[in-house]
Amino acid sequence: MMTVFLCEDSLDGILTGVYEAWDSRLGHRNVKLKTDTEDTMELFCEYRTVSTELEKAEKVLQTVRCRMGVKAEEAVCYAAACPDERKADAIYRLIVLGLSMRDGRKAVNCLQDPSVLLVEQLRYKAWHEAERMLGFLRFEELPGAILYARMEPPYAVLSLIAPHFADRLRQENWIIHDVGRGQIAVHRKDSPWFLADARMLDLRQMERRSDAEAEFQSLWRAFCKSIAIEERRNPRCQQNLLPLRFRPCMTEFQQ
Amino acid sequence: MQQHKIPEQLPVMEKLKILSDAAKYDVACTSSGTSRGNNGKGIGNCFDAGICHSFAADGRCISLLKILFTNECIFNCRYCLNRSSNDVPRATFTPDEICELVIGFYRRNYIEGLFLSSGILKSPDYTMELLYQTLLKLRTQYQFGGYIHVKAIPGADPLLIEKTGFLADRMSVNLELPTAEGLKKLAPAKTREKILKPMRQVQNRMEENRQELVLYRNAPRFVPAGQSTQMIIGATPENDFQIMSVAESLYQKFDLKRVFYSAFVRVNEDSALPALPGGPPLLREHRLYQADWLLRFYGFEAGELLSEDRPNFNMVFDPKCDWALRHLEHFPVEINRASYQTLLRVPGIGVKSAQRIVKARRHGSLDFPDLKKMGVVLKRALYFITCRGRTMYPIRIDEDYITRNLLYVKEKLPPELRGDVSYRQLSLFDDGMPLSAEEQQLLIT
Repeated sequence: MMTVFLCEDSLDGILTGVYEAWDSRLGHRNVKLKTDTEDTMELFCEYRTVSTELEKAEKVLQTVRCRMGVKAEEAVCYAAACPDERKADAIYRLIVLGLSMRDGRKAVNCLQDPSVLLVEQLRYKAWHEAERMLGFLRFEELPGAILYARMEPPYAVLSLIAPHFADRLRQENWIIHDVGRGQIAVHRKDSPWFLADARMLDLRQMERRSDAEAEFQSLWRAFCKSIAIEERRNPRCQQNLLPLRFRPCMTEFQQ
Repeated sequence: MQQHKIPEQLPVMEKLKILSDAAKYDVACTSSGTSRGNNGKGIGNCFDAGICHSFAADGRCISLLKILFTNECIFNCRYCLNRSSNDVPRATFTPDEICELVIGFYRRNYIEGLFLSSGILKSPDYTMELLYQTLLKLRTQYQFGGYIHVKAIPGADPLLIEKTGFLADRMSVNLELPTAEGLKKLAPAKTREKILKPMRQVQNRMEENRQELVLYRNAPRFVPAGQSTQMIIGATPENDFQIMSVAESLYQKFDLKRVFYSAFVRVNEDSALPALPGGPPLLREHRLYQADWLLRFYGFEAGELLSEDRPNFNMVFDPKCDWALRHLEHFPVEINRASYQTLLRVPGIGVKSAQRIVKARRHGSLDFPDLKKMGVVLKRALYFITCRGRTMYPIRIDEDYITRNLLYVKEKLPPELRGDVSYRQLSLFDDGMPLSAEEQQLLIT
């Protein structure tokens, strides 16, 4: 009989699931991992709900890093950010494979294995999305020189992109708001960033803008318009590279 | 000629409009090649792969704030919008205005850094000095750690160029036109020697700097992202072979990071410039970029792709496909055994998929479904590869046969080329060329 471990849809949730599934000693063939976003249940399965424990998640990640290398660690972290229901089980299979090999660092290269391939594909998707977000995120200045950015990505990239901005805008106070997931990343000048619940945000305060903001926004719009070469106009190409779903949050496409 | 009289102080908005419009024909907008963390005091870092922040309506990436310092120019290059004989509004930024713009845009994550070029104001030295002052202010007073791409002005004092190079990430000198004759015809004030001199200087200084860095890890870095250049395509009658040979020697002899190709846009009415009824030669530009990639990442040489007898690229096929069709003696290659370099030469296999194949086949042999999942474009590659000694379908290694089949998967071509893609008329009584099962079926029904 198959035992399904239902874990929370987050990196820590999935890693705790990996820990519990391994620890259950039911045999790798008899267990399956799923995220709790799914609502269809399977027949002839026993369901166990996993409650996320940071300590266990950290242990698993530590093991992955030591035995399978940073590449595998990165692959796991990025794959967990994808909205894909197969990811939890694929991550589990990758870890099982990696720990069974003499040199676990080679596990990520075994693309013939469907789970490894899936993790690799998901890693690429999430990495691509995160990289696009690094460019397409737009900050707006609130009074008091606080920078505030909204985004609505289908992938959970907030914790993947925040370190980049923490380094880049080290001297700034900023907030990145993932509207869909209700999460925010907060950074105070010269201190480390942290994740928080968006409910602690006063949204009315976030509606206000500093005096210089409108001026810079119109300068940017004017620049984006004048930099395009009319003879080479190609909206199709533009849309391939910058899909419409990003545009609502981008200054140059707002009027 | 009477020039526009400009009021001394234009608003920044007007200046930005004029000077970004004047800079838009410069192609390079890459922010790659430097990896640098925040210096702890200021704003900004550099991301090795570069970041695109937006895409303009022409589909080109906006990564840097691309502006001219001034569009006033003493030169009268025939192809240039800002030539001295043109009656266009002129403007000049002050260093502070540029710094304010860069920091304001950078904080809001609009841009990755600054691309600063300029018309020649008074003299090359004077202009270079202004660019240097701007960069110095941005780096020291504003503590800006982001990406800076700056033009080296041909004819400027080498010392000024060197000082500027220590503040910038990338420097470029535009070659403007592929050959010296073209330059003479369209840009009489510029000569090939004058353009290559600063390029050589930057190259030599980079080499010295590399050795300094070996000795002293924290030595200041000179143009860490390398130098680039650009050529205008289609303004003068050079053929693709000449252009690719120039690009190849720039990569080999001048150690350039990138050569950019810019399809000529006719902005001036001038008898020396060709009329382009079909718009800028965009497909030609595309083919040149494809070939450029083959030179830099695929181990090809210009002489392999083109020759004196075939001086231009095939507009229907990309250069690699075209090469493969003319060199069928190298094919088919066995995926499980071929070297990485050989795999790279197969149409439909790129750098990524070749790397994946090499990695994955260590753990077991590969078959066609595996290749598909790894991102190999099988509809292109299947004519050139075998897996475990077998081809995907029964095919013949024959130029006409493959050409005809590849045309069915034609990439998106402009309408004037889409019509006549039949390389060879198909007929029932062809010279002994049997039809594929599919075609026979079509003819019967």
